Amino acid sequence: MSATDSPTLRAAVPPTEAVADDGWAQPAWVPTRALGRTVLITGLLLVLGVALGRVDLVLLAAPFAIGAAVALRRMPRFAPELSIEADEEHIVEGGNVRAGLTVANPDVITYDLVVVRARTSPWLELEDADRPHAIKVAPDGWTAVDLSGRATRWGRQDVGPAAARVAACGGLLACRPVVIPAQGVRVYPETEPFAATEAMPAAAGLVGNHRSRRPGEGGELAGVRPFAPGDRLRRIDWRVSLRTRDLHVASTLSDRDAEVLLLLDVLGEAGESGGVKGKASVLDTTVRAAAAIAEHYLQRGDRVSLAEYGSSARRLRPATGRRQYLTVLEWLLDVRADTGEPNSEHVFGAHNVSSDALVVVLTPLVDPRAADMLAGLVQSGRYTVAVDTLPHDAAPPPSGPWTSLATQLWRMERENVLGRLREHGVPVVDWAGAGSLDLVLRDVARLASAPRGR
Amino acid sequence: MAGKITQRANRARTVIKRATILPLLVRAGVAVAFFGAMTVAWPVSVVVSCWMVLLAVAAIYPAFAPRGRGVTIVLIIAVGGWILDTTWYDARIALWRVLAIATLTYAGHTLAALAAVLPYDAIVNADVVLSWAGRAGLAVLGSAVLTVIVLGLTSDLAGGAFLVATLVGLAAAVGLTLLLARLLRRP
Repeated sequence: MSATDSPTLRAAVPPTEAVADDGWAQPAWVPTRALGRTVLITGLLLVLGVALGRVDLVLLAAPFAIGAAVALRRMPRFAPELSIEADEEHIVEGGNVRAGLTVANPDVITYDLVVVRARTSPWLELEDADRPHAIKVAPDGWTAVDLSGRATRWGRQDVGPAAARVAACGGLLACRPVVIPAQGVRVYPETEPFAATEAMPAAAGLVGNHRSRRPGEGGELAGVRPFAPGDRLRRIDWRVSLRTRDLHVASTLSDRDAEVLLLLDVLGEAGESGGVKGKASVLDTTVRAAAAIAEHYLQRGDRVSLAEYGSSARRLRPATGRRQYLTVLEWLLDVRADTGEPNSEHVFGAHNVSSDALVVVLTPLVDPRAADMLAGLVQSGRYTVAVDTLPHDAAPPPSGPWTSLATQLWRMERENVLGRLREHGVPVVDWAGAGSLDLVLRDVARLASAPRGR
Repeated sequence: MAGKITQRANRARTVIKRATILPLLVRAGVAVAFFGAMTVAWPVSVVVSCWMVLLAVAAIYPAFAPRGRGVTIVLIIAVGGWILDTTWYDARIALWRVLAIATLTYAGHTLAALAAVLPYDAIVNADVVLSWAGRAGLAVLGSAVLTVIVLGLTSDLAGGAFLVATLVGLAAAVGLTLLLARLLRRP
């Protein structure tokens, strides 16, 4: 299934019937065709029995009349109450999901048959969720249907809408369908292992885990130098001082934190999404890589912010710590391919990015505006790394004999764009999990250490 | 046209693939009950002839379309066969045949009512079908007792069958009117 399509939901739930617009609400319970049949057959047999003087015809009508009389001795008054229970715990894609449908009977008679069904997101593999469930609900009681299973893709996955239709009085009366809205299950992306050992190109804050290139209070040894007024006594290197007979102190590099901006290109979606263990589409790679990079830098004490490059231009302010990590995951759940107008204004620009921040742009580089944006960032002196998120097998669906040729031309043009970006000094790497960015981070750090004469 | 046929074939394949056992058994019950009713109600000479094929097709049809008018038509056909046999062919009104026709037609009717609201691919709790069958059994038992008593009474009152039928018919007609009046006062 292509992730560009809207999720195909099984058309199992009837549409909600609108209440009559003249203010007259339709009755919840209506006679079924079986009731009409009972009345017709009973009446017909009785009339024939009377007309032909035949007791046997009256007796043939007896079970219909007795059955209807017994079934209709008490009538239902209230509509059933339906509810959806969905897991609210932290679920990572591939993890187990617990969901269920509960039908409550507020009436004084038994619901002989309740057919309950729910639409579910195609990314939730819930057991028998695509089938209706037929249950019986005792008066003043409830019955639950378990829909446990597995979540196969990140995002807000819906359980529902759900509908219940009840038959009571031996199927002679039926309730109009009761439909309730969907309940979302938050499925967080699986973070691929990621570790960048290289130094940040520009650490900015006063505290942090990155060794800077400036001497200061820190843990990384920079060298030994003679004692000077203002040096702390605990910095004195006694071994060197005794040998040289003069006070020396161990100087260290200061530890700094850094800001990392993850810029997510959502201008388009490409490739097929196969869930957690299947193929990854552009958005899959983007979201999983963003989660992994954010987790890595937040664990190291850096400030991480996120932004979407698209018409919605969502942003997440920079912050640090575990709370920010959870916020990042929550923010990533709402990442969607941009369906806005192609000429819509993108408010994102280099002026939105701190001059010391490391900008990691996750982009498939399909839209020319993304390449322009990257070039603009580099030209404005931002430390920029582009991560190519386009799957290797991504291709437009075949629509004619020229499709493959057109695809080849498009790929050549894209390679050309990548080459021109590299010429402009934008490092572009494929996302490959751990160590993906090490090589380019080293290059960017080297560039950052050079004097910025512009 | 070809497209429609392909569409129907695909739909049939999907139905066969997705169908579950209990709804299937309920529909099979509808077919068996109506087939039995036809066999008992219609004259033997018709039952053993090639006309039985048509009757069988008619009896099985409600199993495939329990929501339609087919069920009512099949019931009328069965009753029509019974009237034909007892009037045109002058067959004797045997107690077992009245009991069998009443039981089988009602069983077919109530199972069709269940099949009409039970999707073919539903996962069904067994107690739904069991309690439904139990209620139908009670109605059949009550009517069977009534049948035995009334038919015994009419045989005792030889020659007075017309009067008894008239009285019972009128009483039932009044009861039916009351039932309908109550239904109109439904919530």
